[in-house]
Amino acid sequence: MANNCFHCLESVPSGFSATVEIDGSPQSMCCIGCQTVAETIVAQGMTDYYKFRTVRAGKVEQLVPEQLAFITSYDNPDIQEEFISQNNDVSEVLLTVEGITCAACAWLIEKQLLNMPAVKRVDVNTSTNRAMIQWHKDALPLSEIIKSLLEIGYKAYPFQADIEASQKQLVAKAYIRRLGVAGLMTMQVMMFAFAMYFGMFSGMEDDFEQYFRWISLILASPVILYSALPFLTNAINGLKAKQLNMDLPVSLAIFGAYAASGYATVMEVGEVYFESICMFTFLLLLGKYLEFRARLKASEFTANLQKLLPLTARTLDENGHERIIAAKKLKLDDRVLVKAGETIPADGIVCAGTTTVDESMMTGEHLPVNKYIEHQVFAGTVNHDGVIEIRINKLGQNTLLNQIIKLQHSALATRPKLVEVTDKVAQWFVACLLVFASLTAIGWYQIDPEHAFWITIAVLVATCPCALSLAIPTALTCAVATLTRKGVLIKQAHVLETLPQLTRIAFDKTGTLTQGRFSFEKIDIIDSQYQKEHILSLAAQLESYSEHPIASAFNEFTPHLRDLTNITIVPGEGITGEDEQRHYAIGKSGWFNTPKSNAQATFYVDHQPVAHFYLIDEVKPNAQGLIATLQQQNLTCHMLTGDASSAGQKIAEKLNLNSYKSGCLPQDKQTEVEKWSAQGDVVAMVGDGVNDSPVFNSAHLSIAMETGADISKNTADVVLLNSDLSAVSHLMTVSKKTRRIIKQNLAISLIYNGSILPLAALGLVAPWMAVIGMSASSIIVISNSLRLLKL
Amino acid sequence: MSIIYILIPIAILFVIIAIGVFFWAVRGEQFSDLNKQGHSILFEDDKEQHNKSND
Repeated sequence: MANNCFHCLESVPSGFSATVEIDGSPQSMCCIGCQTVAETIVAQGMTDYYKFRTVRAGKVEQLVPEQLAFITSYDNPDIQEEFISQNNDVSEVLLTVEGITCAACAWLIEKQLLNMPAVKRVDVNTSTNRAMIQWHKDALPLSEIIKSLLEIGYKAYPFQADIEASQKQLVAKAYIRRLGVAGLMTMQVMMFAFAMYFGMFSGMEDDFEQYFRWISLILASPVILYSALPFLTNAINGLKAKQLNMDLPVSLAIFGAYAASGYATVMEVGEVYFESICMFTFLLLLGKYLEFRARLKASEFTANLQKLLPLTARTLDENGHERIIAAKKLKLDDRVLVKAGETIPADGIVCAGTTTVDESMMTGEHLPVNKYIEHQVFAGTVNHDGVIEIRINKLGQNTLLNQIIKLQHSALATRPKLVEVTDKVAQWFVACLLVFASLTAIGWYQIDPEHAFWITIAVLVATCPCALSLAIPTALTCAVATLTRKGVLIKQAHVLETLPQLTRIAFDKTGTLTQGRFSFEKIDIIDSQYQKEHILSLAAQLESYSEHPIASAFNEFTPHLRDLTNITIVPGEGITGEDEQRHYAIGKSGWFNTPKSNAQATFYVDHQPVAHFYLIDEVKPNAQGLIATLQQQNLTCHMLTGDASSAGQKIAEKLNLNSYKSGCLPQDKQTEVEKWSAQGDVVAMVGDGVNDSPVFNSAHLSIAMETGADISKNTADVVLLNSDLSAVSHLMTVSKKTRRIIKQNLAISLIYNGSILPLAALGLVAPWMAVIGMSASSIIVISNSLRLLKL
Repeated sequence: MSIIYILIPIAILFVIIAIGVFFWAVRGEQFSDLNKQGHSILFEDDKEQHNKSND
């Protein structure tokens, strides 16, 4: 531990030494960034953070003055009106904060901000990574708040809440309220029910019994009329759409039994079932809430994606003066300056400068694309190393990014859907139930009109499809909980039903089958007077100034800290630097008019190549195993990649894939998948880029990686939180087991309901038998489902 | 035993108060992040004053 940074727990590079005294003992730090942050934390008396954090802090990046200057642009009132709401003299803003990992972070942020007198209230949400801040805008600019977060190592951006997200929050709150009411009231109703159970055996004064019934009626009313209301509205909506859904028998059971029990209480006849329906409502609601929460969580990740497009842009007027304006106010033909590391605000044509642009969020390919004058650049892509001036030619809805999003929405409408087991069973069951209940009513009306009503109610209660309605949701809830624990987020309920029916599965290449980052395949030393370690350490030091994806391959070599000066980034070529004696450079091969090789990077000393670096994007270690397992289960495996190079073929051969297609545009992937589903195949797509999001909607099932683009995570049915491919085979196992358990549950409940139905219809079922039967069948079904938690 | 005619309504009153408090807590965002609230008790709020007075 001595060699690890106390703040971020990464190893301390040799040659760097810095310590900060924390709670009385000196602790080593790995970089100046971590050191500054730790010093701030100590100075503010917030060392409790280190004591109670459960997850390590991220490595702190030093900001360049340029970025700091950019933060002040958030104080521009034009820009602010997009994300700040004003209430008298108190302003409110929602910030997306990068790097919140545990509750200790939330405390640290709240503490740091509340130190400033102008800040009135801070509320950090660790599950959404957002902070709500209320403060006096006149006393303290927003940029100061963002800077003070930087001091303790968190990067923050203003968050623009969209309507959809805020509506979801309202729904979540309504669920919690309904659950709370159902839970609290069910406890009370159960208490009185127990008193009445005992009264049934040992006798009870009629007055008391009647009193208890009235109390139960009063207590159960909010549960039925408030908590269970969504079931009724869903059932009615279903009926309006001419469909018998599972909510119909549920609401029939709940509201039928409630009406009958209410009638029994008022008229002082028959039996009451308040406790059963309350518990039933509570359990069903709990299942629905858990499912909703999984979906909410997934959409919260993606709501933070507003970062894709910058809020501000630097425009140039005729005299070449630079002005920062809100990106939404850009007009066609505006000239916009984009500096290195900034996101391009709108589609445009380069009119000055050269650079390389990272288009990975569009194409999924991590190698930056060279851009020269007259080239088209796209909104949302990141400018890597040069400064460019662009002329806007597409705005807002017309940008490529929004085109992709549109494509994705239109695919959603035509999505192939398998008819769900739940609906099939419900249709059939409800129809039978209604026919049978009416037959009973008519039959008994002929024989014994006095008892007809009560026997019909008995039929409805006895056949109350509690167990049946619980059969599927409880199994699904347990399966979803198990999978979430393993880092698989299920967003759509149909996933577990669709999975066992899959016949084809298609993968994206970069970031899905491969690591999505580069590692060394081979290093060729040309000039033998240099040591490999020496070269690597110099190269690593130069590359530490670069954001090029290749640079990350050098991260594992700790730079030998020597004084390289005059570091310059040459757009489209590489990076140079010098010490007292020599000039160093690393960049593409063939630089300085040297002979070209097909190495991805070459290291030069005094303009002469001394080493070639061959890099590859390595296949994920468990990809091969996964493909083999899937093929054993008779699934055909494919690869659809946007990469047009020969890398696709190599990987397809290595992994023994059934087929592959490279150089695919988003539409090509879509047509391919649509072609398969037209042949009657059930297709799953595993991917990570924005370019995968349209195809996600064409496939029966879509799986996204956590490391992927936010849009694709938003569209996908399943998100693999640890981006581990082996989770796919785990997902298959759980879904098969779930299917088996659902079948068992359906069998149990149908046997119970089927056998009690004729007895009830003949008037042979005493109320207490109905209650015991109903509870017992429900408990058996729930316990059976709970087995899924142990997977 | 007739005391329960009074005690039970009082108990119901308490339940209504509990639901009121619960609704208030939901409105105050206390249920939006269950992770944070559980840990908040561990942190000392007054530590900062100690440090400042030592300076």
